[in-house]
Amino acid sequence: MLVINCPYCGERDQSEFSNGGEAHVARPKNPETLDDKKWSEYVFIRLNPKGIFNERWVHTHGCRKWFNAIRNTSTDEILKVYKLNEEPPSIDEFDTTLKTPSGEPDLGSGNFTVKK
Amino acid sequence: MTALNNNNNSRVTDSNKVSFIFDGKKYFGFDGDTVASALLRNNIKIVGRSFKYHRPRGIYTCGIEEPNALVQILSENDEPNTRATVKKIYSGIKILSQNRWPSLENDFGYINNLLSPLFSAGFYYKTFMGPKGFWKNIYEPLIRRSAGLGKPPKEFKSKSIHHHHNVDIVIVGAGLNGLLAASKFIDTDYDVLILEQDNILGGSLNSSQKIKTIDNLDTRAWIKKTEDLIKKSKNIKILKNTLATSYNQINHIIALEDNSVGKPLASHKPELILHKIRTKHTILSNGHIERLISFRNNDLPGIMLAGSFEKYIFRYGVIPEAEPIIFTNNSSTFSLLKSLVDLGCKPKAYIDARDESSIEKGTKNILEKNKIPFYFGSEVEGCDGNKKLETISIRNKEKKIEKVSGSMLCISGGLNPDVHLFTQSKGLIKWDEKYLTFKPETAFQNTITLGSANGNFNFKRVIEEINEKLSLFKINELKIDLESDCPEDLNIIELWETNNEKKSFWSKSFIDIQNDVTTKDLHQAVSEGFDRIEHLKRFTTNSMGTDQGKISSINSLGIVSKILKKNISEVGTTIYRPPYAPLSFSAIAGRSTYEFYDPTRKTSIHSWHVKNRAIFEDVGQWKRPWYFKKNDKETMYEAVQRESKELRNAAGILDGSTLGKIEIKGKDALEFVNLIYTNAFTKMKPMTARYALMLGEDGMIKDDGIVCKINDQHFIVTTTTGGAAKVLSDMEEYAQTEWPHLNVYLNSITEQFSTFNISGPKSRAIMRKVFSDVDFSNDKFPFMSFKKVNYLDTEVRILRASFTGELGYEIYVTPKYGLELWEKFFRYGENLGLIPYGTETMHLLRAEKGYIVVGQDTDGTVTPLDLNLNWMIGKNKKDFIGKRSLSRSDTSRKGRKQLVGILAVDRSKIIEEGQHVVESSSIPSKIKFPVKYLGHITSSYHSPTLNHYVAMAMIEGGNNLIGKKFYVTQNQSSENISVEIVKPVFLDPENKRLLS
Repeated sequence: MLVINCPYCGERDQSEFSNGGEAHVARPKNPETLDDKKWSEYVFIRLNPKGIFNERWVHTHGCRKWFNAIRNTSTDEILKVYKLNEEPPSIDEFDTTLKTPSGEPDLGSGNFTVKK
Repeated sequence: MTALNNNNNSRVTDSNKVSFIFDGKKYFGFDGDTVASALLRNNIKIVGRSFKYHRPRGIYTCGIEEPNALVQILSENDEPNTRATVKKIYSGIKILSQNRWPSLENDFGYINNLLSPLFSAGFYYKTFMGPKGFWKNIYEPLIRRSAGLGKPPKEFKSKSIHHHHNVDIVIVGAGLNGLLAASKFIDTDYDVLILEQDNILGGSLNSSQKIKTIDNLDTRAWIKKTEDLIKKSKNIKILKNTLATSYNQINHIIALEDNSVGKPLASHKPELILHKIRTKHTILSNGHIERLISFRNNDLPGIMLAGSFEKYIFRYGVIPEAEPIIFTNNSSTFSLLKSLVDLGCKPKAYIDARDESSIEKGTKNILEKNKIPFYFGSEVEGCDGNKKLETISIRNKEKKIEKVSGSMLCISGGLNPDVHLFTQSKGLIKWDEKYLTFKPETAFQNTITLGSANGNFNFKRVIEEINEKLSLFKINELKIDLESDCPEDLNIIELWETNNEKKSFWSKSFIDIQNDVTTKDLHQAVSEGFDRIEHLKRFTTNSMGTDQGKISSINSLGIVSKILKKNISEVGTTIYRPPYAPLSFSAIAGRSTYEFYDPTRKTSIHSWHVKNRAIFEDVGQWKRPWYFKKNDKETMYEAVQRESKELRNAAGILDGSTLGKIEIKGKDALEFVNLIYTNAFTKMKPMTARYALMLGEDGMIKDDGIVCKINDQHFIVTTTTGGAAKVLSDMEEYAQTEWPHLNVYLNSITEQFSTFNISGPKSRAIMRKVFSDVDFSNDKFPFMSFKKVNYLDTEVRILRASFTGELGYEIYVTPKYGLELWEKFFRYGENLGLIPYGTETMHLLRAEKGYIVVGQDTDGTVTPLDLNLNWMIGKNKKDFIGKRSLSRSDTSRKGRKQLVGILAVDRSKIIEEGQHVVESSSIPSKIKFPVKYLGHITSSYHSPTLNHYVAMAMIEGGNNLIGKKFYVTQNQSSENISVEIVKPVFLDPENKRLLS
């Protein structure tokens, strides 16, 4: 279970939080002006990268506030949390080379528990 | 030969004799004995039958890694698969052997051993393939009957609890390294927790006499002194009988404490404590596990791991056999040899696979001095005996077979660092060519591995390693001397299996003793193409027993690497997954059982419902009256028919307190409500209400409810009972993330009000009696308006709305007066025919009117347009959630499923919910082509008012099919019912009743 540092309450167990998927997908200001493709990209399409990912969390069983976090999805490390009204930190701040537990390839997952 | 007592020299004392019952017979052991050590004292060699072949099995090890000696504890709720090598006895404990019938000595399932050619690797996958129907009727029941070892307990109420810890350092294992590391932290600022699986500290220091003195003290005296110092230190806590089972992300460790070691289960105390520990650093000093060697019949009772044999001598004070034979491929058995000789026992033979040149001088000296027959460069070819070990065949260095008789064989195939927890933490392990084992290489978390858990088998290097690895903590260096007369380092040669001379059904060379997997199965699996280790594991079930192959999984990698002609590191290991050892479900459940599993929510009227024979329905966590039984004989169908009829004739009242209620306040409340719901609220007058729909961004109906507008800055909305939490969460999400500029405040007020829905033609008369100073006339109190009324100095809100199609009111009152007001309704209303009704009647009545239930008539693929609810959409609003999606090509296309009413042409027919609407009058007995289906019945009820079934369905292009005839399938017949498609309103289409 992860430990998540709620920007309002401090460090709490993951079980108090819910994940809200990709961050910074703003709801279009004028939906009527978008064609079907553009609108469906907003409604249905989300990133799911291996590595650095900006995502949303909500402290459901706490302050119920939404906030953003940067997580390395290959190590599950939460690198930074920031409030909704804060600018996302630059990715350059972080080591973007994949550091998976087992040093596995960039794509896919595999069973690599043994160091070659 | 018989077992000898060595209690004086062990951690078990002679003072307390303990009686116990094994398979119905009474035996004696001592306080501190495990079931296994007590059985060995009593010369019991067979303790169970094996999983697949039902071969007789004995005690193989002396700890958590035991594959064979699993027993059922009758005196503890029939707890099955208990490791006899761990479970401590107490006076009166009742133990039963497992997987045998009728008895251990004569077991019927033993026939499986003779049929063993049938049961080779992949047996299940190959055999239970066909013919059709055999799986369900024959194979599955058969497999289920023979599955598992012990029998599941019949009744059990857990008293387990959970503890949470936040510490700086966790030390797993309080053996030599754990204690030395802990002693460095005495009286420091670090908050330290020590987890020890045994009930005493010292770990393997208790199991042998390899280390003579520590810090110039006798080993046991040093353990005692160190324990005392640790106990005095305020910053260190020791948990004994506590096994670390999982090592998760962010240094989160789960450990299981057995609170009832060596005593019967207490009736009022937790038997297990699950510790959930969050730490900054973890020190793994959890030691090593000895592994076996595969040879012919290496499962016979009487064969035991050498280290375990030694542990029985010094930890439990029982020498299982005075003249065992020792078979090894490494130097670790020196200490067993020396201990036996020191105790006056004489091993019958010593077989070492290593060449004479690499045998330690000390070993040779002892063997020669005591005239013990020894075989260097030799191996055990196999064993024979009737239900127990009798003869051992040795292949000597000239490759000749020599036979030796003996009743016990101690084997050592090498030592494995216990890397389970380390790899669970995502650390990487690496193959060590010198020690022929995997050892920790790169930690992924803040993990430090010490001693043999780190693959350091050299006593001389212990202190140096600890000082070096713990230097980051800036604490004092240890300066302690260890004295040992054993070989300093581990010397080992590769030997995984020996060649069989003899071929017979009986002759098997096991790799996984618990799951009855033979080395032959591994060869077969590879030859059938399962050469990836994870595939091979599942195909053969190797290391998939409750012991998870602790003493054999590395051996199987060794054997497979030889078959594939690869290095072991190329073969890789299977993933080590938590838990390290089986852990009881009751420990995981903790206090979350029975009534504590999930809270039950009851309304303020609940006691009245119970008194009035309500049958309850679970809606989320709520208990809602489903229907009220008039008398004990009345069935649900009868009750619902009666309630429906009486309500339409007079009046009924429903406890609607469970409906979600959300208060929306703020300067921008109106704009917010306009964005959340489909309807237009701007022109709506204060103190009026509107039935409203909430969509997802995809345009699909998510929830419905009534929006009451007090003024533009204050709204109260209701939600469905099940959707309350989700609707509030969604509103909060949009308020915070998309529209933070809007000034709105949201508050759940579900529990702040008891809600009654009264409806029926007499409801106005009843309301006038209960609230005598309120004008309920149609002019002054029109449909979909509400009033605030004073009742006992509290504010009661009355809303004229209806979900039944009758004249109706909803009353919102503080729960404090809920029951009182409810009873008042009956005092005034009973002679007017007022009855209580439940959710089932509500559903029937709304179906007569064609009102939908979100989640029953809709399923997440339904838009308001599909339900012909276009009138609810505020088309002139610039935006609301889901608006844009309603004009997407898919949501606006023709031929979508639409809501229609269904009536049987023969009105007496029963239409079932969930049945399909089709074009043909019957379903062919053999379906060759898919039967075209238009949709399905979403709701169907027998209407007592109309005296026939009324049904609703979602069918393709339904709006254009009104008046057409189709068919509806039946559950029990291939004949379909002829139906006509009608508009989904069956009663009072002009709403005369509603607006009366």
